[in-house]
Amino acid sequence: MLAAGIWALTQLIPSPLLVLGEHHVGGGMRWQLTPLLYSFGIAERPLRSFFVSPIARHSGSIELHGSPEWACCAPNDASSWLVRAGLRMYLPLIEHGEVLSWSVGGSYYHALGSSDDGFAADLAMYTLFGGVGFHITASPWLTRRVLILSLNIRHF
Amino acid sequence: MPYAHAHSSRHWLVTLVTHVAFALVLSASASGCGFIARVTWRNLTGPSERKLAHKLTDPKRPEARLAALWVGHATVLLQLDDLFVLTDPLFTRTLGQVSERLVEPGIEPEHLPKLAAVLISHMHLDHLSLGSLDMIESRTSIALVPEGVRSSMPRYAFEIRELERWRSYTASNGLRITAVPVQHVGGRYGIDAAFEPRAFTGYVIEYHGLQVYFGGDTAYDPRAFAATRRRFSNLELALLPICPNEPRDYMQHTHLGPAQALAAFELLGARTMLPIHFDTFINSDDAPGSCANELRRQMQLRKLERERVALLRIGEQRVLMHAAAR
Repeated sequence: MLAAGIWALTQLIPSPLLVLGEHHVGGGMRWQLTPLLYSFGIAERPLRSFFVSPIARHSGSIELHGSPEWACCAPNDASSWLVRAGLRMYLPLIEHGEVLSWSVGGSYYHALGSSDDGFAADLAMYTLFGGVGFHITASPWLTRRVLILSLNIRHF
Repeated sequence: MPYAHAHSSRHWLVTLVTHVAFALVLSASASGCGFIARVTWRNLTGPSERKLAHKLTDPKRPEARLAALWVGHATVLLQLDDLFVLTDPLFTRTLGQVSERLVEPGIEPEHLPKLAAVLISHMHLDHLSLGSLDMIESRTSIALVPEGVRSSMPRYAFEIRELERWRSYTASNGLRITAVPVQHVGGRYGIDAAFEPRAFTGYVIEYHGLQVYFGGDTAYDPRAFAATRRRFSNLELALLPICPNEPRDYMQHTHLGPAQALAAFELLGARTMLPIHFDTFINSDDAPGSCANELRRQMQLRKLERERVALLRIGEQRVLMHAAAR
């Protein structure tokens, strides 16, 4: 119970975003859940669901993720929500990914309240046990969020 | 019944919120933001790693039945007759990418002999170092870990075997290693302590009639030490942590201080104690040297003979039993 509560709280911590649209720069926040992850770097139990230890993820893995995202300050669109679902692969660089790892992935997004659906690609580097990362998401067809830079803050 | 269902759901929610709030208050008050800030500041402004003038390149001592080389922190290279066991290997220059070593490791990983086993007491960063295991990957065929740890470890070329409390690993050469109870805290990053709350252990190593105790990281738990003594009544050596000691109110729940380490040594009934887990990193309010000084003071108070405690410097090796002695 206690572990579940702590896990739930860590999932609520958002990652801050810098959103670059075609005609504006804004801010935002992103959350992320991992319904399924296959770790090819871990010694035991390669399949994980939601409750994913940093070592399982950053020692080498492929994850299915769901990601609600909120952005603000676009002209004529004060704020907006978007959800993503995607696949991402993590690869370790130093000390099984605890010191440095990177990821590459793709996602399908749906902007709530509009008909904007499409694909995005992302690339990221992580350090400090995977807890901190620098994330770039490119969505060339989404004019309000062509590029998103994110300070990825994540545990589990 | 709708009311009962709603009541049950509300009760579940209240219980969850209460547990989480309690955990947050407890961890905030126990860990203490001030303590963490002090330790971080001391690390950022602390001295650079001190180099050792002489480091052993061949640790094998043919004249020894039992020898110990303190590599630093909880890392000890034990020689029992013709075989070697390494405890909590830590050879990286920093801990958690933040805390720099005060003293370099007492031996280079490439100078380690072939190891019969590597013992890992728990998952904390200063005891389970993934980079250090990379450095010694070719030196051992097995690492023993506490129950619940294997699923949080990456794959290595050596076997990773979990040992439940009081369970033993027996090698074909007669080496026997048993997981014994200690009192500490599980998890790896602090925040995850509740996820694997019992993922820590001590070990007793037995070979050719020799018995050696490795306490890993432990608080003072008289019942655990007495239970170990009941099963292992002929301990030659006890590796016991003596630091971090301050702030004592916080540390006492998870760590032995020098006085308690001596009390544990008495309860274990070992012939010799080898203090570990001090003067390698800054992870407490203790000044370098203070735990060793307090240990000497406590030894005087207890009128304990100096020979009973092998207080080594990092990189120092001592023969604790000669081949002809037994």
